[in-house]
Amino acid sequence: MGALETTLIVAPPPPVDVAASRSIGRRILSHAARSTEFRIGFALFTILALAAAFYPELSGIDPLKMNVRARLLPPLFVGETWSWAHPLGTDQIGRDMLVRSLVGLRYSFLIGVASVAVTLLIGCALGTISGYFGGRTDTVVMRITDAQLSIPMIILAIAVLGVSRPTIPAIILVLGLSNWPVYARVMRSVVMAERGREYVRAAQVSGATHPRIILTLLVPLLVPPLLFTSVLDVARMMIFESTLGFLGLGVQPPTPTFGNIIADGRKYLLNAWWIATMPGVFLCLTLTSINLIGAAFERARNAIHGGA
Amino acid sequence: MFVLSFLARRLAQGAVIIFLVSLLIFTLLRVVPGDPVRLMAGGMAPEALIEQIATQMGLRDPIPVQFGRYMARVVQGDLGQSFVRPANGAATGGANFNDTTRGERAKVMDLILDALPMTLQLAALALVFALVFSSLLGIAAGLRPGGIADKLAFTVSSVFVSLPNFWLGIVLALLLSVKLGWLPAIGYGGFSYTVLPALVLAVELSPVLIRTLSGAVAAQMGESYVTVGQVRGLSPTRIVAAHALRNASVPLLNLLGVQFSSLLGGVIIVEYIFDYPGLGLLTINAVLQRDFPLIQGIAIVTSAIFVLINILVDLAATSIDPRLEY
Amino acid sequence: MSPVLSVRGLRIDLTLPGRERRILDDISFDVAPREIVGVVGASGAGKTVLSRAVVNWIAPPLTIGAGEVRFRDRNLLTLPPREMRRLRRDIAYVGANPMGALDPTLPVGRQIVEKIRAVMPEVTAAEAQDRVIALLDAVRIPSARARFHDYPSQFSGGMMQRALIVDAMISNPALLVADNVTQPLDVTVAAQVIRLMRELTEGFDTAILFVSSSLPVASEAASRILVIDEGRLVEEQPTEALISAPRHPYTRELVAQIPAIWSVRPTVPAVPREARRPDTAIVSLRDVSQTYRVRTRGSFAGTSELRAVRHVTFDIHKGDSFAVVGESGCGKSTLMRLLSRLERPTGGTVLCDGRDIARFSGAELLAFRRKLQLVLQDPFDSLPPRTGIGAMLEAPLRTHGWRDAGRIRDKVRDVMNDVGLPVSLYDQLPLGLSAGQRQRINVARAMVLDPEILLMDETLSALDQTEQFKLLALFDKLQRAHGLTYIYISHDLAMVRKACNRIAVMYLGEVVELADNERLFFDPGHPYTRTLLSAMPTLEKRRYRPEDCLLEGEPPSPIDLPTGCSFRSRCPQAFEDCVTLSPHLAVRGTRDLAACHLVTEPVTDSVAGAA
Repeated sequence: MGALETTLIVAPPPPVDVAASRSIGRRILSHAARSTEFRIGFALFTILALAAAFYPELSGIDPLKMNVRARLLPPLFVGETWSWAHPLGTDQIGRDMLVRSLVGLRYSFLIGVASVAVTLLIGCALGTISGYFGGRTDTVVMRITDAQLSIPMIILAIAVLGVSRPTIPAIILVLGLSNWPVYARVMRSVVMAERGREYVRAAQVSGATHPRIILTLLVPLLVPPLLFTSVLDVARMMIFESTLGFLGLGVQPPTPTFGNIIADGRKYLLNAWWIATMPGVFLCLTLTSINLIGAAFERARNAIHGGA
Repeated sequence: MFVLSFLARRLAQGAVIIFLVSLLIFTLLRVVPGDPVRLMAGGMAPEALIEQIATQMGLRDPIPVQFGRYMARVVQGDLGQSFVRPANGAATGGANFNDTTRGERAKVMDLILDALPMTLQLAALALVFALVFSSLLGIAAGLRPGGIADKLAFTVSSVFVSLPNFWLGIVLALLLSVKLGWLPAIGYGGFSYTVLPALVLAVELSPVLIRTLSGAVAAQMGESYVTVGQVRGLSPTRIVAAHALRNASVPLLNLLGVQFSSLLGGVIIVEYIFDYPGLGLLTINAVLQRDFPLIQGIAIVTSAIFVLINILVDLAATSIDPRLEY
Repeated sequence: MSPVLSVRGLRIDLTLPGRERRILDDISFDVAPREIVGVVGASGAGKTVLSRAVVNWIAPPLTIGAGEVRFRDRNLLTLPPREMRRLRRDIAYVGANPMGALDPTLPVGRQIVEKIRAVMPEVTAAEAQDRVIALLDAVRIPSARARFHDYPSQFSGGMMQRALIVDAMISNPALLVADNVTQPLDVTVAAQVIRLMRELTEGFDTAILFVSSSLPVASEAASRILVIDEGRLVEEQPTEALISAPRHPYTRELVAQIPAIWSVRPTVPAVPREARRPDTAIVSLRDVSQTYRVRTRGSFAGTSELRAVRHVTFDIHKGDSFAVVGESGCGKSTLMRLLSRLERPTGGTVLCDGRDIARFSGAELLAFRRKLQLVLQDPFDSLPPRTGIGAMLEAPLRTHGWRDAGRIRDKVRDVMNDVGLPVSLYDQLPLGLSAGQRQRINVARAMVLDPEILLMDETLSALDQTEQFKLLALFDKLQRAHGLTYIYISHDLAMVRKACNRIAVMYLGEVVELADNERLFFDPGHPYTRTLLSAMPTLEKRRYRPEDCLLEGEPPSPIDLPTGCSFRSRCPQAFEDCVTLSPHLAVRGTRDLAACHLVTEPVTDSVAGAA
């Protein structure tokens, strides 16, 4: 069917498609924004983001403050001792779970976005160079990529963070460094495909240098679509951040993160199940919202790249 | 003949990869702060003694020298001895600094070989769960893009990919094991102990499988041989079963090769949560105890497995699609 | 005799929201048993949709508005799928995309057997295999028994099209729908395929609906021709009558547009005799070769040599319109990359004004780039997708050090005027422009640097006849105004006949003939040139008949070159010497050359180079 459709749509005087004249980024955005999944994800994410941005300060509750009298309060409507003051209950030393989760969300999101930025930077740079120049450069970069892909990133991360002291920049760096091969591969293949196209050849014949072609023609064209895919990786990085926290290799207590709250709560699983599960629900909601947005982007990107 | 030369080339490439991995992990462990001797000897040990032990073990030599010495043993199949684990099994913290009789330390190779079968069992079961579930949903979704199965696949994979495995492990253990008592959870005492960790891993694996499969099937259904096939007189069932799925399995196979390391990453966490005595638990303990030889050994073995699996995957993919080059 | 196919009042609509359109309207015609009926029309006229409607392959967003397709008095369009599938035995289809028609992961033979077993369940597998091999042999696929087990990717386009014809004919159908089957093929291969189809209809009693966008191709194959314009059947006549006395204005235009080769004398640029001395050549190739190393499949680290261009020597003079012609794989694209210094040759030198371009770097290279510009083939692929037209034309100037925005803008406007692009397009994206307009942008991008030489890499091949005429007129105007030298890289002899004064014919990496326009078309010296001329789609009376000029078979692979003459495997005049001796370019008359043993007076390469 695909072939027929293109002949039908391309062959006779093609109606000037207003949508097609906008940049690919905008088209992906508007295409994605039409899907229900995107809207749900976006609404959820906005609520969570607003809550994380304002609730801890507005409520005036200190996430680190102990309150022995209000310890182990269950969340709303559970048991008999729940209270409106602590919608998600309190932990073993009476700290408010909602505020702790929201503060954890801040760190988690910050680390997620920052490490994806590191990943993108390294991955795109290496991938572009590898795909554009090919030959021996390509072989070397791809071999390093293979080597990196062959050790689970978690082994690398825990090896480094476990042996040294985990600080936030170290965590960002380790997470960022562990995921770049995926981007390097994707970027390499699109750059290779694009490099063979005639307009690149035309630029070359007009005398443009390789850096000029890469920076003015290829990067502005190829990187933005990749940014949409990277939304999914923000969620992945947040999971890894919380995993590290869970193993005690993330941001160190007393700063609350999803990982260390859940690791703490695991000890009280049988008498206060909410300490371990509630932050998890929170984390899942955040990740689901990001993943819905990311997946909608990815679909939109595929639809637009398939059709144009 | 083709297969042999392919194997030779890929094994040579694999050796390069394993070498790079060893170099990377070896250097990383030595440049980041944290002294294993301090941990081995215990906090109370005097500085001079620590220096003495470290020098004895060659830990104060330049890194290239240490690495050369290490690799010379590795190529003979000797991954060295654990810093902290005694040969009789139980892990010790090494509190007593006088007790450094090297002969009693466990061989890294033995430790890994003990743990590996357990992990393979877990990984295989998880893969079976994930493949069965993802195939059903992914193929149905790919055959009818935009249909109910497609929407379901989208939602399921978005939710599954958002479940952190350690949290899911805790929740499932709480529900299925503590509350309902259906499955055992902690430790290992028979095959049934594998089921719950495998389920958690399968949930982690399936989103990417579902997406790849539904995408690949949908792409194949748009290929012209599918539509032309009907005009040639083939029945739709036959086109899907004998041709589209066959072609769509190639990206899936490639994915499995690449996903191996994330599967192993998941295994580490899941084993830690369920206290499952496999390679993952071994890794975490090795890291927490700064057991350098063990960490290095595990990295080398996993990357070797990765290389082998990818060779197998490529062989399988090439036997399906002869256009892929040997 | 009652017709095997009769279409009555067929109407098909496109029902894509916002893009509703009538594709076919009120089409009615008959096809008698054993008849070959041609269907011609421009691209987008609805031919392909018609051919699909005939085999009941209309799927959303296309819908059947009205009408019937009656095959042996049953309306196919209303048949339930199961019954339609049974009829596939009698109605076969071959499309324009041979490489995509079969599952790439299974052997070709096995898939044809699968088809037999699907439409003729009574045939056993062993019997089916024998039939497939016999028929593969009948369509002259060499060593059919071995090819049976080969995969689609191991077939060339022409071989695959033959295999698909086998696939279609294997069930001995009463009707074969051939939709643009020769479109992706080189002219010589296409000529072979058409010949094959005519033979098969006689042997199998099959009627053919032969759809083609080229009137000459259809007239070659069909005894009666239907002309479709914008979804309507505008004319239907026997082939000879249609060509000699077209009735409908569209048909008349169509016939008039078919280029004449021999009956019209074109006005090609004449280069003054004194400018012909070898030392005045603006571009010279001296024994240029290009060899690529390709990895040998299934070896540890083995590579083999792909000799894309071999020992090419010629001169191009100022004011020339020089053509390099040949079929796919002949090395002309490699030659283009060598001429434009996108690659450096592995042997020999390319000289521009007597200086080796491989040694240029820095400012010298930039100066060379200014002097020689490239106009590319694909009007869609060659423009960066997200750049405004003005910015696109400014880019080369900026690369070459222009800084004054006002001057740049003026220069770009001048050039846009020059090539006939409205200046109002300056700030727009190239989306929605026709292929012809896009090619003008391409020309403008090359012209903006005031080059002396334009290298045209299949520049016109993506355009239809009318657009080609307009651009050729533009090229002519530009040449006069700016004293340009053109190098055309093309597979289209008709275009070359109209536009070029000197022509090099390439086969398998070598120049086999080098001659002036008249000489090449009226007195070709090399058998391959004669083959090309014989296979050209034209409505004129041919000077050369394909039957006399071309043997079956495909060009050899440039990785595994034959000894002796590279054309000998397809040459009807080959004799013993051709197997062992590789012919040199030999002088014919004063300045024309051909590399064939049948041309006497062999000369050395140095003399050839001096021509």
